[in-house]
Amino acid sequence: MTEGFLQEQRTLEGDLNSENSHQNSVDFLMNWFRKRSIFVLAYGTGCGAIEMPPTFTSRYDAERLGIRGAATPRQADVIIVSGYCSYKTLRRIIRTYEQMSNPKYVLALGSCTVNGGMYWDSYNTIKKLEDYMPVDMYVNGCMPRPESILEGFIQLQKDIGNGKASSWQKYEENYEFYRKNQEAVLGEKVAPSYEADWYLYDGGL
Amino acid sequence: MQTNMFTQIKNQFATNDIIIKRKDLYKVEVAKERLFDLIKFIGNHYDYKTLNAITCTDWIEDGHFAITYMLTTLDRTSTFMVQTLINREDAHINSLVDDFAQSEIMERDLAEMYGIDFIGNKNLIELSLENWVHTPPLRREFDTLEFVNKHLTFREGRDDNIDTKKEAKRLRAIKKAEKEALKKAKEEAKAKEENQDGK
Repeated sequence: MTEGFLQEQRTLEGDLNSENSHQNSVDFLMNWFRKRSIFVLAYGTGCGAIEMPPTFTSRYDAERLGIRGAATPRQADVIIVSGYCSYKTLRRIIRTYEQMSNPKYVLALGSCTVNGGMYWDSYNTIKKLEDYMPVDMYVNGCMPRPESILEGFIQLQKDIGNGKASSWQKYEENYEFYRKNQEAVLGEKVAPSYEADWYLYDGGL
Repeated sequence: MQTNMFTQIKNQFATNDIIIKRKDLYKVEVAKERLFDLIKFIGNHYDYKTLNAITCTDWIEDGHFAITYMLTTLDRTSTFMVQTLINREDAHINSLVDDFAQSEIMERDLAEMYGIDFIGNKNLIELSLENWVHTPPLRREFDTLEFVNKHLTFREGRDDNIDTKKEAKRLRAIKKAEKEALKKAKEEAKAKEENQDGK
């Protein structure tokens, strides 16, 4: 009697019995809903993005865990920083992250976000993502397989469930620290200008 | 035809011998002033009409950049590398944008990465870097590691972080000692056996 629906049901209800004494019932319920419905921003920032399509499509089917794509930052819960992160990309990532509504979570994929990875001596990539924005979950590997990504997601769900994943609060509380680090590599104008050069250039559109 | 072309180029543009790098790839070095004439000449007379790439090599020891224009025939059977040397301290050269529109973005790339000024190219704005104020990154005097150490923070290693080279050496030594001990034990056993047989 451990197959099919019953097993699924047991998994879902399993958390109800776990230790969540530090949360009140409303928080607990809200977190339970949140972790079962994670909308991931469809945005790839580096080579690790290539592992995301198999994760979300039929082969690994992340949607069975309630994880699916979102088209715009304002509808997304999770942003995945998938791989090496150049200054130019970092600018966009920060812009996107700040557009997302709370609660929001960050999943960092690959060695490059952890310590620079193979780009450790590159002049144009950052070495530690958590200096510039808060990170809820690191998934290491070069590159992480979809199994690892799912493992990271499941761990993130657990953290959301018991209220540990609260990086968005950390970002608000320590905004000055993050802003200082961002300005150190990006200059004072952290947000990108969005002026495509071929608009301005004579002979452009 | 090939020999004819080589002789003509050599005579008209006072170049050195043309190097045949492969049966479909030739290379010639030409003075900066005659560069565009040569490109036009091989385009008009020998069909090298497609500009594939403009590349740059930094010869910091000799104090110059070698800029190479790769031109291919329209039937894609042969490629000509036309190279010219420019002073790397005051790096500038005329733009090829009037003859080949695609050279605009190639020149923009070189301008950004090497700091070369292409006179006549109006669109030499940043391409892949943003707000870059340091030495152009592909110039060889730009020390990447120094830059990284100065501007970025590295993650500290774990507490149980070990030097892999030392660790490998240590493990190798242990393995070697074990092997020798085994060999010695075997030899002793053999000697013992022989002694017993002798008795």
